[in-house]
Amino acid sequence: MSVIHLFDIVSRQNRWLSVRQSTIAGNIANANTPGYKALDVEPFEKALELTRLSMNSTHAGHLAESGARTSTVEAANSSSWDVTHSGNSVSIEQELINAGEVNRAYRLNTSIAKAFHRMILASAKV
Amino acid sequence: MYDPLRVALKVGASGLEAQSKRLRVVSENLANAQSTASTPGGDPYTRKVVTFENEVDEALGASLVKVAGIERHRTPYRIEHNPSHPAADANGYVKLPNVDIVSEVADMQEANRSYEANLQVIKQARELIAMTIDLLRSN
Repeated sequence: MSVIHLFDIVSRQNRWLSVRQSTIAGNIANANTPGYKALDVEPFEKALELTRLSMNSTHAGHLAESGARTSTVEAANSSSWDVTHSGNSVSIEQELINAGEVNRAYRLNTSIAKAFHRMILASAKV
Repeated sequence: MYDPLRVALKVGASGLEAQSKRLRVVSENLANAQSTASTPGGDPYTRKVVTFENEVDEALGASLVKVAGIERHRTPYRIEHNPSHPAADANGYVKLPNVDIVSEVADMQEANRSYEANLQVIKQARELIAMTIDLLRSN
């Protein structure tokens, strides 16, 4: 059923956007750290293609895989706007623009999900 | 599995803490801009600066920021000829703190700007969480 598929994509993109938001938070928090390189996440299309299978623990004594490390955070290319003398490549303006983009996409996603949800409810109610 | 938006809130909070420590050090410097020694020839207050470092939280998988240390600034003291001052040495020179008010105010502005940016990220992460919760609201 294609509607269910839509909900899947919405939640996957929202998850991707949340990872991006936490990456932006890390960049802004380290805006004054010498030598810190700005990070970004890989594009959503690329993340959608990959199935990130994680290992299952078969014994209680196995070390658990920790959370966000399996997500798509990776070192960015040299697309940063400015690199300061201390080797820090975070530009606060660039990060805030990215954060605005995340906000807009997230809003769009939740509105679409809401609209489809209403449609399903409308057909179920009668 | 940690919720990335909660990680964003935590990282933003670490930024707020680091910048407020920086602001505290700036206020110490400004308050002590005239603090000389009380003994003849003694060293006055030395300007302090914070250094930041990137700290990877293994459990969260995120890079927090923390204050690596509060160091003494190495610029030389200002020297003034004032033989009657209690801190004057045998030649009548008094060592004054190496605090430069203009650069302290500039540092304060920069801390302010970084604090605002962190606050903005926290606000936005909260907004995203609120948008998700709003999905449950029926209307």
